[in-house]
Amino acid sequence: MNVDFNTAAKAAIGCWATGSLLSLFVRRTPILKLPALMLSFAGSLVMVGFIASYWSLLDRPPLRTLGETRLWYAALIPLVGFLVEYRWKIAWLKFYCMGLAAFFLVINMLHPEVFDKTLMPALQSPWFIPHVVVYLVGYVMLAASSVTALHNISLQLRSKGNVNGESVSHYLALLGFVLLTFGLIFGALWAKEAWGHYWTWDPKETWAFLSWLAYLGYLHACRYKIDRGKLQWYLALSFLVLLVCWFGVNYLPSARNSVHTYTQS
Amino acid sequence: MHIFLLVTVFKEKIFWLNNIICLILLWCYILDVCNPLMRMVFFHQAYFRYIVMVVVRRRWFQTPWEFRESSLGAALIVVAGFILQYATSGQGVPPLHLPLNAVILVLFAVLTLGVGLGFRENRLVQWLGGIPLGLSLIVALALLSLIGGVIPQGEVAPGSLPALLGVNQIFSSWPFALTVLLFLANLGLSLSWRLVPFSMKNIQFILFHAGFWIALSCGVFGSPDIQRLIMKVDEGGESNMAYSRESDSEQQLPFSVFLHDFSLEEYPPQLFLYDPRKNHALQELAKTTTLVHKGVKASWKGVAVEVLDFLPNALPGKNGIPEPADRTAGVAFAKVRITNTNAVPTYAWISSISPMMKPWAAPIGELLLVMAPGTPKAFRSDVTVRGESGQLVTATLEVNHPINVMGWKLYQMGYDDEAGRWSKYSLIEVIRDPWLPAVYLGFFMIMAGNVLFFWNGIKQKEVAS
Ligand code: HEM
Repeated sequence: MNVDFNTAAKAAIGCWATGSLLSLFVRRTPILKLPALMLSFAGSLVMVGFIASYWSLLDRPPLRTLGETRLWYAALIPLVGFLVEYRWKIAWLKFYCMGLAAFFLVINMLHPEVFDKTLMPALQSPWFIPHVVVYLVGYVMLAASSVTALHNISLQLRSKGNVNGESVSHYLALLGFVLLTFGLIFGALWAKEAWGHYWTWDPKETWAFLSWLAYLGYLHACRYKIDRGKLQWYLALSFLVLLVCWFGVNYLPSARNSVHTYTQS
Repeated sequence: MHIFLLVTVFKEKIFWLNNIICLILLWCYILDVCNPLMRMVFFHQAYFRYIVMVVVRRRWFQTPWEFRESSLGAALIVVAGFILQYATSGQGVPPLHLPLNAVILVLFAVLTLGVGLGFRENRLVQWLGGIPLGLSLIVALALLSLIGGVIPQGEVAPGSLPALLGVNQIFSSWPFALTVLLFLANLGLSLSWRLVPFSMKNIQFILFHAGFWIALSCGVFGSPDIQRLIMKVDEGGESNMAYSRESDSEQQLPFSVFLHDFSLEEYPPQLFLYDPRKNHALQELAKTTTLVHKGVKASWKGVAVEVLDFLPNALPGKNGIPEPADRTAGVAFAKVRITNTNAVPTYAWISSISPMMKPWAAPIGELLLVMAPGTPKAFRSDVTVRGESGQLVTATLEVNHPINVMGWKLYQMGYDDEAGRWSKYSLIEVIRDPWLPAVYLGFFMIMAGNVLFFWNGIKQKEVAS
């Protein structure tokens, strides 16, 4: 089955856009709440469906290129937004999430990836999917945590109390940390099977360790007497380290010999 | 960090002004911490109304020690490490091997636990095992890793400054080793207080911290005991010699490896447009084409190519028409139809390459349409391993599927790249890491702690909402 990416992306963006538009009127016309939610949700469902069909088309999980991982982000990020609204009754995050997902899809539409079925032998491993998926979800959580933290900072600056928002950013960071930890260890176990050693201080590993340390620092600072309100800055900025790990590593001088830059192969 | 706390009151509309003033104050404080005059000036400004400064006027080393002393401690240990590195002309930490490293590690653990439990009430020990020092060490570790994550790691000219400071091999340098050691002491002390008296309430803490302690200490202390060697074994041949990446001198192994067969599977070949004058492939065509099989179409700037026939294994036959051949000798052939915008279609056979055969290409104007061999999909070696006492193990080595024999792990590593699937030898990496079980124990403890943490996090969420 061949599903055209552009069609799927446009359908998803359309769903999110109309869903968001409808939710703007929910306060005045509460009856719109359900259709708005359904439409926004449908956008993610479209992406999940597309990933499934793309997966079967490729004969391998679409997790190899940056473009392919963007598909997963597009499907997952809005779900975090919905979850947060459901859990903490915070509505604004989902708009940001849908916007970000749409942004990822637009990048993919502008840069169609090389259509390549091949998967190098080292990546053909049962560890491949858990390792990458755990990291994907973790990054999604931490991105949401960092945005929530930014939002909290802006509320602080407008001197609005916001205990709920601080617990949202905290728990998102906590869940993200758990997933980073799993991702790191899965990666180590896999590396032992594929490359012979569980930890070689490869630049990507080093940066993954750095981002993990950043959130470890947050958790301990939080446990100590440090004020949570101040730690919002920390959370907002930690994500920058993650961004380097995610996109930036390939551009660093240290990346010359990295095993994680598959794209040339 | 807790030198003083600035609490701004943002009730007034000009809150941004407050922020700027706080920043200036902070800056002045850093510039001239103890200049009372400065502080007087600022304190008597009209803006003071908006700013409540809670100056925690702690003197240095006033008990209990906190972030100030901790940051100093962490900084000192890093600086001491760099000095030591420099003093030993950049040699780094001498590798300690079994059993010496294990003995030292056990002594270190016992000492940490002993000090932790015996001097629980001691202020200095409490500081050594406290979160402020832990946080400072996390920062120190992060900064050292940052060096390793930005500066390319590897050999540089001996005697150069990077080599003397160890920044090109930061993870085996003295500053890193000393920081890790203090980190382990800190972690170990905090652990000792949760271990005794034992309580199930602390299990999540214990799993995380003990797991990390074990994984980190065994990973670092055990690294000199890791042996990574490479064997080159010819098809039909047997070898028990291996060499390391660092030195070419060969070394005898306690077992030998016989290679029955090396085989390589490839993905289907790919079409490329090749420019013979510039001697490089034009990627544009490859971007729009899939892997070559019958019926594939591709187009590139007015040139359309369609694969009419595809023979995965063939050899040139009579009248230029390839004939199917067996896999060991044949290469891939494809019959293509090339349609140029304003010309009649041309037909041609093209082929990929083998050590025995030059490729067939089809001209398109000034360019050539070529078929590049597919990238490797899998490669494997059928081997028999024979131990010194005569025991035999027969197995297939493949990437991601190493085998365990006699305390060693054997990995399919590589082959003759030039010959591709016609390679006559296989490169096998043999690895021994006696500390692996301990490191894995640490990993699994951290993962168990993780599961609890996740679970409790979910539970706490309900409280929060
Ligand atoms: C550097 C030395 C470290 C010290 C002194 C330290 C100390 C502590 C302390 C005192 C707590 C509070 C526990 C409680 O209230 O129950 C804590 C929590 C925690 N630590 Fe550490 N720790 C260190 C390193 C680590 C490392 C390396 C890890 C990761 C493997 C880790 C993971 C955690 C986690 C997940 C928590 C729970 C946080 C929370 O409940 O919010 N710690 N640590």
